[in-house]
Amino acid sequence: MEFNEFFVEGMKLLGAGIAMLGAIGAGAGVGIAAAGGVQAMGRNPDAASIIQTNMILGMAFAEAVAIYALAVALIIIFVG
Amino acid sequence: MTSEAKPKKRFHVKTTMILILFGLGIYTAFLGPTYLRPISPVVVLPPEETGLSVFGFPITNTIAATLLTDLVLILIALSAYRFYRQREDVPQGLLNAFEVIVQFLWNTVQNAAGKWAMRIMPIVATIFLLIFTANLIKLLPGFESIGRIKEIHHGTGYAPMPLLQIGDFTLWTIDKGKPVEVEDHNEESAAKGEPAKGDPAKGDGAPCHACEVVPFLRGTATDINFPFALAVTTVFLTQVFGVWALGPRYFEKFFQFRQLVSGGPFGAINFGVGLLEIILEFAKILSFSFRLFGNIFAGTLLLSIVGALTAVAVPAGLYLFELFFGVIQAYVFFLLATIFLSGATVAHGHDEHH
Repeated sequence: MEFNEFFVEGMKLLGAGIAMLGAIGAGAGVGIAAAGGVQAMGRNPDAASIIQTNMILGMAFAEAVAIYALAVALIIIFVG
Repeated sequence: MTSEAKPKKRFHVKTTMILILFGLGIYTAFLGPTYLRPISPVVVLPPEETGLSVFGFPITNTIAATLLTDLVLILIALSAYRFYRQREDVPQGLLNAFEVIVQFLWNTVQNAAGKWAMRIMPIVATIFLLIFTANLIKLLPGFESIGRIKEIHHGTGYAPMPLLQIGDFTLWTIDKGKPVEVEDHNEESAAKGEPAKGDPAKGDGAPCHACEVVPFLRGTATDINFPFALAVTTVFLTQVFGVWALGPRYFEKFFQFRQLVSGGPFGAINFGVGLLEIILEFAKILSFSFRLFGNIFAGTLLLSIVGALTAVAVPAGLYLFELFFGVIQAYVFFLLATIFLSGATVAHGHDEHH
């Protein structure tokens, strides 16, 4: 293999790693959602089931961003 | 006295079994011959073909896993039906768990959808049970480890090694102690021709020179087609339910002409937002499918890599983690489908603002 090909291979892996930086925001978002949910459940235990449903829903939406980042990283490594 | 002694004895049996398995794991991973050591499977994004085909339609390993899942679900459904016919009051064994799941789903759907629950339930419950079973069944041993042996064309393969011979049938394994590098430089045809030449010369019937294992079964959701198909079905059914419940008025959500005519300057903005809702419907498909696929594929990747690095104890914890994530992802998919479907049956409210 030429130097250029090695360079491209390495840069691909680096790019995949950088793409996963998007997971930072999603992690913070999921954490905030969980914190809010637990606080709400502590204050109002009777509404726990409704809060839990909405909390998981919010976490799923927050997590979606991390999943997009993961999809981009996987595509860079395995497809591109 | 006896009731006290019995659980103690069972505890010892379990402890001994776990210790034996632990020792076996340490032996195969670190002490034993190198062909017993775990190898990180070659990770590929598209599903691989198992070599089987039905009417010229190739069966990939994810389809095989889906068929297995279907079989399990159909058997459970048949036994549930038989139980229902017997008209006994107390379900037993597996049916108990099944009843808990269905009751839980029904409560969730009823809370979200109200009077439409009866029509929405069959769809979302089917989706939940399919994803749930597929995610759990993927953790069985044999998935992603037993398969067809194949020559690789670039990267690092491993030398094959006959493990067991029954008549004409030989069970091969690949030897971690003998990695074979395959360079795919410009003479690619030479690399492809090599095994054909080398095979008869060796004479021991080895299927390939540098091998990888193409598994017969692979987790259903690691194939992007499976979540994508479910997502397309769900979003399409969302439109169907919307039209069913509201008639042509459903499309006012997308084309708010009334707002454009009577809403003043903000009416135009509302009209634009309505058009954005169309894009949002397509974004639903993407986020739906990538969420499930990404979670399950990443879990599989993690399991295979960590399982090859540390063969003992750590993968057990990760399997527990995967179990949890499989259930959570099935629940999230089910919940989102329920919310979307029941949301479509309710009129898009701009009446209550005024």
